[in-house]
Amino acid sequence: MARLQLTDVHLDFKVGIETRDNLKSILLRKVLQRGGSTRAIQALQAITLSIQSGERVGLIGPNGAGKSTLLKVMAGIYPPQRGHVKIEGHVCPLFEFMTGFEMEANGWDNIRTRALLLGMSPREIERKLDGIANFSGLGEFLDVPLRCYSSGMLLRLAFATSTAVDPQILLLDEAMAAGDASFIESARKRMNELMERASIVVFASHSLHVLPSFCERTILLQQGRIMADGPTQSVIHQYEENVAGKSYGCGADAQSGYQEQAGTL
Amino acid sequence: MKQTLYEVYQAALLWNIWVRLGIQDVRLRFRRSVLGMGWISLNLAIMILAFGLIYGNLLGQDFSEFIPYLTVGLVLWGYLTNAIVEGGQAFLIAEGYIKQIDLPIYVYIFRSFVSISLTAFLNGLAFVVVMVAYRVPVRWGTLWAIPGMALLMIVAWLLIAVFAYLNAHFRDVAHLASIGMQVMFYITPILYPADLLRQRHLGIIIDLNPAYHLIEIVRRPLLLGQPADSLSYVWSGLTLLLLVIAAVLVMHYYGRRIVFAL
Repeated sequence: MARLQLTDVHLDFKVGIETRDNLKSILLRKVLQRGGSTRAIQALQAITLSIQSGERVGLIGPNGAGKSTLLKVMAGIYPPQRGHVKIEGHVCPLFEFMTGFEMEANGWDNIRTRALLLGMSPREIERKLDGIANFSGLGEFLDVPLRCYSSGMLLRLAFATSTAVDPQILLLDEAMAAGDASFIESARKRMNELMERASIVVFASHSLHVLPSFCERTILLQQGRIMADGPTQSVIHQYEENVAGKSYGCGADAQSGYQEQAGTL
Repeated sequence: MKQTLYEVYQAALLWNIWVRLGIQDVRLRFRRSVLGMGWISLNLAIMILAFGLIYGNLLGQDFSEFIPYLTVGLVLWGYLTNAIVEGGQAFLIAEGYIKQIDLPIYVYIFRSFVSISLTAFLNGLAFVVVMVAYRVPVRWGTLWAIPGMALLMIVAWLLIAVFAYLNAHFRDVAHLASIGMQVMFYITPILYPADLLRQRHLGIIIDLNPAYHLIEIVRRPLLLGQPADSLSYVWSGLTLLLLVIAAVLVMHYYGRRIVFAL
């Protein structure tokens, strides 16, 4: 049984120019008792939530609310500074599709590397290889190094490979659609199939209109805190009333903006 | 502590991933070049030729002894230097992976270990050629090189681990380490026989140099077919112990939190 349990999770990012610990600043601090003050940005505060097997959970909130950070805590990528994270089941984080891609290697090699990184066994990969190749629609281009691909072709390959996993816990950041029109349609279908296979899906999104069809439960994050957690329709309603009208949440994590870009492609 | 060791074990089980990535790293370094991985051997051959001619003559060495000596020394030294200088980049070059995928963090140390060891192995083939060319005798005692090499490989892994953490956290360490290794290269008897320093009563420089002993435990068995001095084994053992402590400390203290330093 898959389960995700976060108890009172806090996570700070140290930011600023002075804060990177280099030898100079540490020596200055230790020897001369002076040096830069550390500015911490609270990316997540007092996050307590529990997601059971079978749940599809949406994650919404303004840019910098901490959605990506929360997903990375759920994936075990960011260890929280306080609180507990309990992950039961194999997590598959799909935050962006390209990690592990090597431009000099050909399509087949990249499918294998990427699939290994996503936790597939070599036997599973060989079994799925043809299916991935077919879905990518790249044909004989798979024998060519990736540096010769167009960005659309890269995306097809990355998407085809990444969506071939059978995850227990699937974490998605800003679901992506790109490529030509025919690909978008089949991509959406494949994405739905992937989400069907997983026993838990957590799905960060800005597209409020697609959420209700995916998730029965939605969590609203703002400035690193859970503002609402409940049935999708009512949480979206609350979000539109309270948050969306006002200003964007001030950047709780500097990275999330970048990742959202990368995720949308 | 137990947790840390368990995570290392978990990472080791994922050998499918790190062997693949490690070999890919070496292959890609020479991508689209005519010689490919042959550059590794050619590089070494040229160094041996240049150093051999100059230092061999300068120090009045017998070539049939000096060239094999020089070759083993350069290969082993290259291994240690790479572990520190290149292996130190293990987390930095894997930043994209570490921030996107939840693999155990030590997978990237194993990956570095594979690419560095593979490079050293390819270099080692050059030594086999030299061994045949100069008829270095192979005796039972040559087998002493095996435990020596095993120890050296563990040391290399630990060096990668320690410096990967230090480099990710303190970006100055990489530069410091590369200067340090340059200096050590001349202090350590690689280009010249250890006896030359001893004759000038500078033996203390050698005896206190852990790098010398680490090289000796492989070099002496290979060249003379006999175990190294017991002092060398003691020193190598001590170095290993110190590195284990240092590695466990940084791994236990930073662990996965290194992601915030990247």
